[in-house]
Amino acid sequence: MISNEAIESCLRATMPDAVVSITDRTGTRDHFSIRVVSVAFQDKNLLDRNRLIYHALREPMADGRIHAMELKAHTPDEAGVASN
Amino acid sequence: MGNPIEDEVKRELEQHKILIYGKGTKAAPRCGFTLETVQFFAKYGQPFEVVDVLENMPKREYLSKMTNWPTLPKVFINGQFYGDTDVLDEMERKGEVKPLLDAAFGG
Repeated sequence: MISNEAIESCLRATMPDAVVSITDRTGTRDHFSIRVVSVAFQDKNLLDRNRLIYHALREPMADGRIHAMELKAHTPDEAGVASN
Repeated sequence: MGNPIEDEVKRELEQHKILIYGKGTKAAPRCGFTLETVQFFAKYGQPFEVVDVLENMPKREYLSKMTNWPTLPKVFINGQFYGDTDVLDEMERKGEVKPLLDAAFGG
C-alpha cells in the first residue's frame, strides 16, 4: 500500500519537473498505472525511460509497497503538456 | 566453472527467437502482465515461449542484473532485451514490432 503523494515524491526526487498521473488499477493501492512527463526522458529510449522510473521507485518496489506498475513515460513535447 | 544460470539463459535465448521470462506458463500465466505479454505475441502468429521463473529467485535476480530491469515479465526478441508490454505497446504504436519480428524470423 502506498499513497499517490508518496509515489510522486519518489519520482520528483529523481525528476523534479515530473508531472505525474497515477491510477490505482485494482483498488488495493499496490497495482498502479503511472504516467510521468519529464524533460529527464529527453533523448532516452523506451527502456531507459522506464529504467529511470524504476530507479526512482526502487524503495517502494523493493519493500513491496508497490507490487506492479504499468508505465508511460513522455517528454513535455511528446505529451503536449507544459510540465510544472 | 561457468555460471549454470547464465548457461541456462543463454541456451534458452538461443532456442527461442521470442522468449518471455514470466510468472506462470504460456498455458497458465499467473500474473496479469505475463498474460498480457502472451496475448501480445499471440496476435503476430510467430512461435514464442514462456519460461516460468516465478519460484526461481536466483534466476530472477540474475535476469534483473543482466537487463537492469527489476520486474517480470522480461521479453527477449532474437536474444535482445525489450522490456515488457509497456515498451512493446509503444513500439507497436510506432509500427516497429512487425519489422522486428520479420527480421528475426527471416520474413
